[in-house]
Amino acid sequence: MLLYALKRFLTTIPVLWIAITVCFFILRLSPGGPFDGERPLPPAVKQNLEAHYNLDKPLVQQYAIYVGNVLQGDLGPSFTSEDFNVAEQLKLGLPYTIIIGGAAFIIAVLFGILAGIYGALWRNAWPDYVLASIILLGLILPSFLLAPIFQLIFGVELGWLPVGGWGDGELRYIVLPVAVLALPHIARISRLMRGAMIEVLHSNFIRTARSKGLNTGPIVLRHALKPALMPVVSYLGPAAGYLLTGSIVVETIFGLPGIGRYFINAALNRDYGMVLGTVIFYMVLIVMLNLIVDILYAWLDPKVRSQ
Amino acid sequence: MIATIPLLSIRNLHVDFKTHDGLVEAVQGVSCDILPGECLGIVGESGSGKSQTLLAAMGLLHRNGTARGTVDFQGHNLLAMSRNELNQIRGRDISMIFQDPLTSLTPHLKIGTQMREVLKTHQQMSGLVSDAKCLEWLERVRIPLAGQRLRQYPHELSGGMRQRVMIAMAMLCDPKLLIADEPTTALDVTIQAEILDLMDELRRDHGTAIALITHDMGVVARMCDRIQVMRHGVYVEQGSADDIFYRPQHDYTKMLLQAMPRLDGKSASGRQIKPYQTRSEKAEFLTVSDLKVHFQIKNGFFAKPAVLRAVDGVSFDLRPGETIGIVGESGSGKSTLARAVLQLIPPTSGTVTWLGSNLTTLDRQAMKQKREDLQIVFQDPMASLNPSMTIGDSIMEPLRIFRRDATKTDRKLAVAAQMQRVGLEPSMINRYPHELSGGQNQRVGIARATILQPKLVICDEAVSALDVSIQAQILELLGGLQAEFDLSFLFISHDLSVVREISHRIMVMYQGCVVEMADRDDLFRNPQHPYTRQLISAVPIPDPDIEKSRKRLRLKGELSSPLDPMARVRFLPSRMGDEVPYLPKLQERFPGHFVAEHDPLEDLVLDDEPELERDLTPS
Repeated sequence: MLLYALKRFLTTIPVLWIAITVCFFILRLSPGGPFDGERPLPPAVKQNLEAHYNLDKPLVQQYAIYVGNVLQGDLGPSFTSEDFNVAEQLKLGLPYTIIIGGAAFIIAVLFGILAGIYGALWRNAWPDYVLASIILLGLILPSFLLAPIFQLIFGVELGWLPVGGWGDGELRYIVLPVAVLALPHIARISRLMRGAMIEVLHSNFIRTARSKGLNTGPIVLRHALKPALMPVVSYLGPAAGYLLTGSIVVETIFGLPGIGRYFINAALNRDYGMVLGTVIFYMVLIVMLNLIVDILYAWLDPKVRSQ
Repeated sequence: MIATIPLLSIRNLHVDFKTHDGLVEAVQGVSCDILPGECLGIVGESGSGKSQTLLAAMGLLHRNGTARGTVDFQGHNLLAMSRNELNQIRGRDISMIFQDPLTSLTPHLKIGTQMREVLKTHQQMSGLVSDAKCLEWLERVRIPLAGQRLRQYPHELSGGMRQRVMIAMAMLCDPKLLIADEPTTALDVTIQAEILDLMDELRRDHGTAIALITHDMGVVARMCDRIQVMRHGVYVEQGSADDIFYRPQHDYTKMLLQAMPRLDGKSASGRQIKPYQTRSEKAEFLTVSDLKVHFQIKNGFFAKPAVLRAVDGVSFDLRPGETIGIVGESGSGKSTLARAVLQLIPPTSGTVTWLGSNLTTLDRQAMKQKREDLQIVFQDPMASLNPSMTIGDSIMEPLRIFRRDATKTDRKLAVAAQMQRVGLEPSMINRYPHELSGGQNQRVGIARATILQPKLVICDEAVSALDVSIQAQILELLGGLQAEFDLSFLFISHDLSVVREISHRIMVMYQGCVVEMADRDDLFRNPQHPYTRQLISAVPIPDPDIEKSRKRLRLKGELSSPLDPMARVRFLPSRMGDEVPYLPKLQERFPGHFVAEHDPLEDLVLDDEPELERDLTPS
């Protein structure tokens, strides 16, 4: 098991390297630079700036410098902010993103799985249909639509919750963004879970378990849950990715000071350093989450382990 | 005999399934009794409702199924019970074992966990007492290293071991009735023989009644006191084993008995294959010499890859119009051999000479041309047809590749003629595989393989998935095609009785090697190799008198892994100590009768000591 984890870990290194390389060159190849404002800078100033940020060197050399810095954990300077480099800006935004994203993730997994099991056990009865309709709603409404709807209903009309901002990090400020972020994933996870659970409940070993005289509780929890979780677990990696990208939209709409907002600002200002740094950070996060998913998989299925 | 009170009595049981195509009445009012300590056989072909009857009694129907009638067990109607009441009885008084022991055990739970939960549920037993009881039963079903097994997962055991675990688990609470649903269908014959012996023993020692659901008349003859013959949801005939086998009344029973191929050659059908006579005197046809297919098995990241010798030096020659039957148990390499002959798997070494040219050295394009004369029919007819193509298109496909110049109408006519030849209505040309039965789909497979009038057709377990009555028809069809076109067959099967029906010569394989090869009658009349003799003695014969008095040959040694280089000298233990693993050589003991070297049979027969079957761990 440990060997398996180590092996999987080693395979993430080339993945990350390729991703960094591709992002670096794509960003550099896109037209325009951080200092091409509406008002052109005096050439001497621009030259000085470019020399300061190594932008005057050949592209390959810039790449070598950048990769070297990344290996030392330095994501480089931000071209628009003198006071904070990329890593420091990420550090500032990180707690907010982690709280919102993490809470949404946990809630999505928990509610998704429970709703899925419930739907499977009561399949084609009215609770299943009600659940299915709510889920469908969560699937079809994109978060940039869902967010203003929630703001309107719970913030403006009912006045229960603030429409935006972080406040002092009180719960009532977090509820709406987390709900908007989690809802589509609750929907997807519960559908995956329901389908997988129904399939597993039809399998031969469940028939054996029933023939042994076990009650529904142990059958579902001990025999059916683990294999039914497999498709859900394999969705968790991509889900984490969606949550991160989703958090960009949600943080912007709710005016939260997370990484997503820095990212949007950086993109609008052509701050390569910041954009690239954020992308790399997201990538590492997603790759690591996928790694955890693979290890979870091995835990769920003894056959994966022995291969 | 004293009239005994039945243990389980089923009265007027109906089982209906709600499906998209409307209501399916799977069981239509059947009644039967199971007496304490007896073995009742319920036989029938697929779809007869034989399993559903007892699944309904156990409350194990699918959600879309409903059962009506009464199933009386010790004064209680099982069908009227709540799920909680039923759970008191299931697993304690009545338990079940199923066909496929791999999928019937929960894959992610250890054997011990799955066994202990039965004791916990029914006898509130846990801890050491429970462990001891599980161990006791694993040992009673003769599982070696029982203590270790408790901590293993199902996929770490071989098929036979898994079924033993199922039986041990079912017997934990000393049930009064054991329902066995095709318990040996997925197993090799030698393993089947052991499992049947075990079940018989349990019945004698514990007085457990057994309801045995099976399609195999041989198994029934071996095990059962009374028999119910089922067809289309009703019992067509019931009676003692003797009545059913020697005085069958119903036409269906007679048909079943006739269709069943028999190892002792007394098939009632009188189906005879034409004795082999060569029409063309061409010596050069198919010659396989010293063919080897080895696979590298990677066992982890850093481990040195092991070599799996799937086929290890097989030589034979096939004559035009001849059928060679290739028999062997799972893992013997018979399918790999077939694929290597057709170059569907590249052989590691050796040659395949077809009409004078060596196929192993041809390039892709040249090989493609040869395929016109070399065809194959696979085991699972449904899975080997493209589900999105009509059967007409499937049959026509070879024509599209090899008869480029033919017009569309010509091809259509050829397909229609071919369909008629294999017994399919030409009007079904636009149907899809899922609309046809298994037998019809296999006819499609055969039509496709023979439409180009090839010279050689390989049948890889071509009738194994079919009911006996369909099986008989397909064998008939193959025989007819051979007579008409002077076809040669390589007929691969695990079923000795079927191979006997159709082959001129028979080759017995064990662990990638040929252990015996002879004319059909010589092989069955005078089997030489201990393994052949063991196989023959393990196959049940559908005749209770013969079957119950036969003595089974049990050999020493273990079914070893094909990864083990010593596997090949299992029947030559005197060479076990050799430094370099010895490869037993084929010797011509009688004219045309080849036997691999082996030690005298007396040295190999198992006395009554507990057998040592080591596990064949799939890796």
